Amino acid sequence: MAPLSVISLSLCFLLPLLSPAISTNSEGNALHALRRRLSDPTNVLQSWDPTLVNPCTWFHVTCDSNNHVIRLDLGNSNISGTLGPELAQLQHLQELYKNDISGEIPKELGNLKNLVGLDLYGNRFEGEIPKSFSGLKSLRFLRLNNNNLTGSIPRELTALSNLKVFDVSNNDLCGTIPVDGPFGMFSMPSYANNMRLNGPELKGLVPYNFGC
Amino acid sequence: MDSTQISRFSLFITVFSCILAFSFGDNSSSTDAHWLLRIKSKLVDPAGVLESWSLRAHICSWNGLTCSHDEAFVIALNLSASTLSGSIPTELWNLVSLQTLDLSLNLITGSIPPEIGRLRNLRTLILFANNLSGKIPTEIGLLKKLQVLRIGDNMLAAQIPPSIGNLTELRVLGLAYCQLNGSIPAEIGNLKNLVFLDLQHNSLSGFIPAEIHNCEELQNFAASNNMLDGEIPASIGKLKSLQILNLANNSLSGSIPPEISGLSNLQYLNLLGNRLNGEIPWELNHLVQLQKLDLSSNNLSGTINLLNIHLQNLQVVVFSNNALTGSIPSNFCLKNSNLQQLFLAQNKLSGGFPLGLLNCSSLQQLDLSNNNLEGELPPTIDKLEKLTDLLLNNNSFNGSLPPEIGNMSNLENLYLFDNMITGSIPVEIGKLQSLSTIYLYDNQMSGSIPMELTNCASLTAIDFFGNHFSGSIPETIGKLKDLVLLQLRQNDLSGPIPPSLGYCKKLQQLALADNKLSGSLPATFRFLSQLSTITLYNNSFEGPLPDSLYSLRNLKIINFSHNKFSGTILPLTGSNSLTALDLTNNSFSGSIPSRLAISTNLGRLRLANNLLNGSIPSELGRLKELIFLDLSFNNLTGEVPSQLSTCQKLQHLLLNDNHFTGKMPSWLGSLHDLGELHLSSNNFQGQVPAELGNCSRLLKLSLHSNNLSGQIPHEIGQLTSLNVLNLQRNNLSGSIPPTIQQCKKLYELRLSENLLSGPIPSEIGKLTELQVILDLSRNLLSGEIPSSLGDLLKLERLNLSFNRLGGELPSSLGQLTSLVMLNLSNNHLRGQLSSTFSGFPPTSFSGNDKLCGPPLTSCMDSAGHENNLLSSTAVVWIIVAIVFTSTVICLLMIYIMLRMWCNMREVLISNSSEGGGNGIEQIKREDQERWMYGDEKKRKGEYWRVMSSMALVPSQNHDDHISSSCIFQVKMDTKKLGI
Repeated sequence: MAPLSVISLSLCFLLPLLSPAISTNSEGNALHALRRRLSDPTNVLQSWDPTLVNPCTWFHVTCDSNNHVIRLDLGNSNISGTLGPELAQLQHLQELYKNDISGEIPKELGNLKNLVGLDLYGNRFEGEIPKSFSGLKSLRFLRLNNNNLTGSIPRELTALSNLKVFDVSNNDLCGTIPVDGPFGMFSMPSYANNMRLNGPELKGLVPYNFGC
Repeated sequence: MDSTQISRFSLFITVFSCILAFSFGDNSSSTDAHWLLRIKSKLVDPAGVLESWSLRAHICSWNGLTCSHDEAFVIALNLSASTLSGSIPTELWNLVSLQTLDLSLNLITGSIPPEIGRLRNLRTLILFANNLSGKIPTEIGLLKKLQVLRIGDNMLAAQIPPSIGNLTELRVLGLAYCQLNGSIPAEIGNLKNLVFLDLQHNSLSGFIPAEIHNCEELQNFAASNNMLDGEIPASIGKLKSLQILNLANNSLSGSIPPEISGLSNLQYLNLLGNRLNGEIPWELNHLVQLQKLDLSSNNLSGTINLLNIHLQNLQVVVFSNNALTGSIPSNFCLKNSNLQQLFLAQNKLSGGFPLGLLNCSSLQQLDLSNNNLEGELPPTIDKLEKLTDLLLNNNSFNGSLPPEIGNMSNLENLYLFDNMITGSIPVEIGKLQSLSTIYLYDNQMSGSIPMELTNCASLTAIDFFGNHFSGSIPETIGKLKDLVLLQLRQNDLSGPIPPSLGYCKKLQQLALADNKLSGSLPATFRFLSQLSTITLYNNSFEGPLPDSLYSLRNLKIINFSHNKFSGTILPLTGSNSLTALDLTNNSFSGSIPSRLAISTNLGRLRLANNLLNGSIPSELGRLKELIFLDLSFNNLTGEVPSQLSTCQKLQHLLLNDNHFTGKMPSWLGSLHDLGELHLSSNNFQGQVPAELGNCSRLLKLSLHSNNLSGQIPHEIGQLTSLNVLNLQRNNLSGSIPPTIQQCKKLYELRLSENLLSGPIPSEIGKLTELQVILDLSRNLLSGEIPSSLGDLLKLERLNLSFNRLGGELPSSLGQLTSLVMLNLSNNHLRGQLSSTFSGFPPTSFSGNDKLCGPPLTSCMDSAGHENNLLSSTAVVWIIVAIVFTSTVICLLMIYIMLRMWCNMREVLISNSSEGGGNGIEQIKREDQERWMYGDEKKRKGEYWRVMSSMALVPSQNHDDHISSSCIFQVKMDTKKLGI
C-alpha cells in the first residue's frame, strides 16, 4: 500500500436534502445569491439570469434530468469573494477551485447529503473545516488542499464511510490525524505541509488537539 | 475690506457718478428705462413677456416691474417663470434701487457675476431653477439688507462663501439642488434671523457646524442628500424654534444625541440613510409636537421605546432597515392615536404579532415585513379598520388567515408572502371590495381558491405562487375586470382553465406553471390583448392551440414547455415582440414557421422534444438577438441554413437528435459567443471543421453519433475553455492531436468508437481536470499507455478498452485513486497489476495478453481455477498460458534431471573409494563436516539462498541427493525462464 500513496486523497460526495423546496427555482436563487457575493472580472457568470425558470441553461451549471443542479464548475475563472449559506440549496456541488475565494467554508455545506465530490482546493479559505461535513453522507472526494484552513481535522469526519479521496495538504491545520473509518486509507501526502499537524491520533496517550 | 474691494468700490462710485452725469436733468426711473431696454435687448424672450417694455408706455406699467410709491425708482423686477434665456445682462447692475429681483424658473445661463454686490438695496434675491453655473460670488456678502436669498436648483458649484455670514438680516437661505461642495461655513451661525435654511441635494461634506445653534430663529433646517459626516452636534438641541429637521441621506455617525429632545417645537425629524448607531434615545418621547419621524436605514439597535402615549401627534413613524430587536411595547398606541403610518420593516423584531398595535385605530399603513415575527395572526386584527396596507411578508407567521380579515373593508394591499401560513383562504375575503393586491406566495396554504375571491372587484394582482392550493381555478375569475397579474404557479391546481379567464381583459401576466391543470386553452384567450407573459409549463395541457391566439400582439414571453400540446405552433407567432418562446417537450408538429423571424428581439427559442419536421427556415437568420436556439429531438431534416451565421449573439446552439444532413458547417466558427454546441445524433458528414477552433468560449462541444470522417483538427487545442468534448461514434481517423493538451479545463473527454490510430499522446496527461470520464475505447490506438495518465488524479472513469494498446501497464496508473470505473480490457497489455487495481472487477482487464495479479490470477498461480469467471477470450489466453507454463516446467525438469544425473555421476566417481552407499545422509554429513572446518564457506551461503528461491518454484522436487553446486545452477536457470 505505501508506495501507492498518491498525492491526492479524495473525496467526498454528499447530497444535501433540502427542506421541501418552496420555490422551484430555489437553486437558481441560491446560485444568484452566490453570484452577488462573487467578483467576476472575466464575466464567466454573465449567463446567470435569475429570471429564467431554472439555472439549468446557465453556463458552468449542470443539471440532472429533473432540473436539479448537480455540478458547478467555477474553476480557473479568476472569481473571488466568499461562499454563503445559500449553497446548501444545491444538491451536488463540485469543482469550486483555483480561484480567489476567501472567508470561511460555510457550515451549511454539511447539509448537502447527496454531495459526492467537493473540491475547494486552491482558494483562500480560512477558519476551520466545518464539523458539519460529517453530514456529507455520500461524499467520496474531498479536496481542501492549498488554502489557509486552521484548527484540527474534525474527528467527526471519520463517519464519512464513503470517503475515498481526502486532501488537506498545504494548510495550517493542527492536532493529530484521525485513524478510524476511512482515515485508515489515506497516506501522508494528504496531510503534507501542515506545520502543526502531529501525526496519527494516539488514543488516550496524547490529546486529539495536541499542539493546537 | 481688502484693497480689491476698495478699488471695486471706487470704480463703482466712478461709474455711478458717470450715470448721474449722463442722466442729469432726467428722473431716475427714466434712467432705469434706458437700462431696462438694454436688458430687454440682451435677453432671449420667446414668450414675449417683455413686449410691454417700451418707451410708449410708462415704465411703471411695464410687465414685471414695480416702482416706488413716487414712481421715481424701480424697486422690484419679477420675471419668474417667463422662459427667458441668455445670461444675466450686466446692465442689471445699474438698477441700484432694486429691492427685489426675481428671475426664478427661467433658463438663464452663465454665472452670477460679482457685480451683484452693487445692488445694495436688495432685500430679496431669487434666482432658483435656472441653469446658472460657476460659484456663488463672495460679493454676495455685500448685500447687507438681504432677507431672502434663494438661488438653489442651479448648477452652482464650489464652496458656500463664508461672506454669507455677513447677511445678518437673512431670514430665508435656499441653496438646495446645486453642486456645492466643501463644508457648511461656521459663519452660518451669524445669521441670527435665519428662519429657513435649505442645503439639500448638494455635495457638502464635513461636520455640521456646532455654531448652528446660534440661529435661534431657525424653524426649518434641511441638509439632506449631502455627504455630511461626523456626529449630530448636541448643540442642535438649542434650536427651540425648530419645526423641521431633515438630515437624511448623509454619512452621519454616532448615536442620536439625547439633547435633541430640547427641540420642543419639532414636528418633522428625518435622519434616514445615515450611519447612526446605538439605541433610539428615550428622550425623543419629549418631542410632543412630533408628527413625522423617520430613522430608517441606519444601524440603530435596542428595543423600540417610543410611545405614542407621549407622542400624541405622531402620524408617521419609520424605523425600517435598522437592527432593532425585541417586540413592540404593548402600550405603544393610545385609543385616540393619530398614527397613520408605521413602518418597521427589515429589523430583528421578534415575538408574536404586536397586539399593542391594535389600539392604533387610525393606522392606515402597517409594514412589519422582514422581521422575525411568529405566531398566528390575531382574529382581532380587524380592529385596524382604517388599514389600507398590511405588509407582514418575510416573517415566520403561522396558523391560518383569520376570517375576520374580511371586516377590514379599507384593505387595498395584503402582503403575507414568505411566511408559514397554513389553512385555506377564508371565504370572507370576498367582502374586501377595495382589495387591489393579494400576495400570499411562499406559504403552506391549502384548500381550494374560494370563488368568493372573485367578488373582490378591485383586484389587480393575485400571487399565490408556491402554496398547496388544490381544486380548480374559480370559474368566475372573469369577474375580475381589472386583473393585471394572475400568478398561481407551483400549486396543486387541477382541471381546465375556465373560459371566463379570457374576460380579464387587462391581464398582462398569467402564470399557471407547475400545477396539474389539463384540457386545452379556451378560445376566449383571444380577448387577452394586453397579455405579455404567459407561462403554462409543467402541466398536462393538451390539444391544438386555438387559432385565435394569433391575435395576441403583445406577447413577449411564452413558456408552454412540458405539456401535451399538439398541432402547429403558428398561433403563437402573431406578436412581433417575442423575447422568449419555449415549447420544449410537447407534441407540436408541422414545420417551424418562418414568421417567427418578425420578432426581432427574440432571444430564446426552444422547440426541443417535439415532432417538428421540415428544415430550419433561413429567415431565422434575421434574429440578431438570438442567444439560445434549441431545436433538438425533433424530426428536422435538410442542411442547417448558412443564414444562421448572422445570429452572432448565439451562445447555445442545440440541434442534436434530428436528421440533419450535409457537411458540418464551417461558419459555426464565426459564432464567437458560442458556449454550447450540440450537433450530435444527426447525419452530418465530412470533416470536423477546423474553424470550430475559433469558438474560443465553447464549454461543451458534442458532435457524437454522426458520420464525420477525417482527422480531429489540431485547432481543437484553441478551445481553451472547453469542459466537455464528445466526438464518439463517428468515423474519425488519424491520431489524437497532441494539441488537445491545451484544453486544460476539460473534465469530460469522449473519443470512443472511431477509427483513431497511433499512440495515445502522452500530452493527455496534462488534462489534469479530467474527472467525469476519459473514454478512448473502441478505436485502433496502439503503443503503450503513456505513464502520464497517472497525473489525472481526479479522473473517476477511464475506458481504453478495445484498442491495440500493448506493453506493460505503467505503474503510475496506480496513483489514480479517484477511479471508480476502469476498463482496459481487450488490448494487448501485459505485466503485473498494481495492488490498487484489486478492487476492480476482472472484466476491467480481461482480453489482454499477459496481465496478472489481483483481480486477475496471481502472477504465480496457474489461472485455471478461475476459468468459470472469465470470458472466452480469457479462457483461451489462460489455456495458452497453462500449456506454455507446463512446457517450460517439463523442459526444466528434464534439464534438472540431466544435471542431477551428471552431478551424481561425478560424485559417485570422486567418492568411489568410500563406497557408493546411500548417499543422502552421507553427503550431508560430509558437507557439514566440510563447513564445520571452514572449508567451502562461501558455498554454504549460496546453498541456502538457492534453497529459499527454489522453494518458490511450484513443481520443484526436493531431491536431497543433489549437491549444492548443482542446485545453484538450477536456480540460475529458473530465473532466466522468468517463472
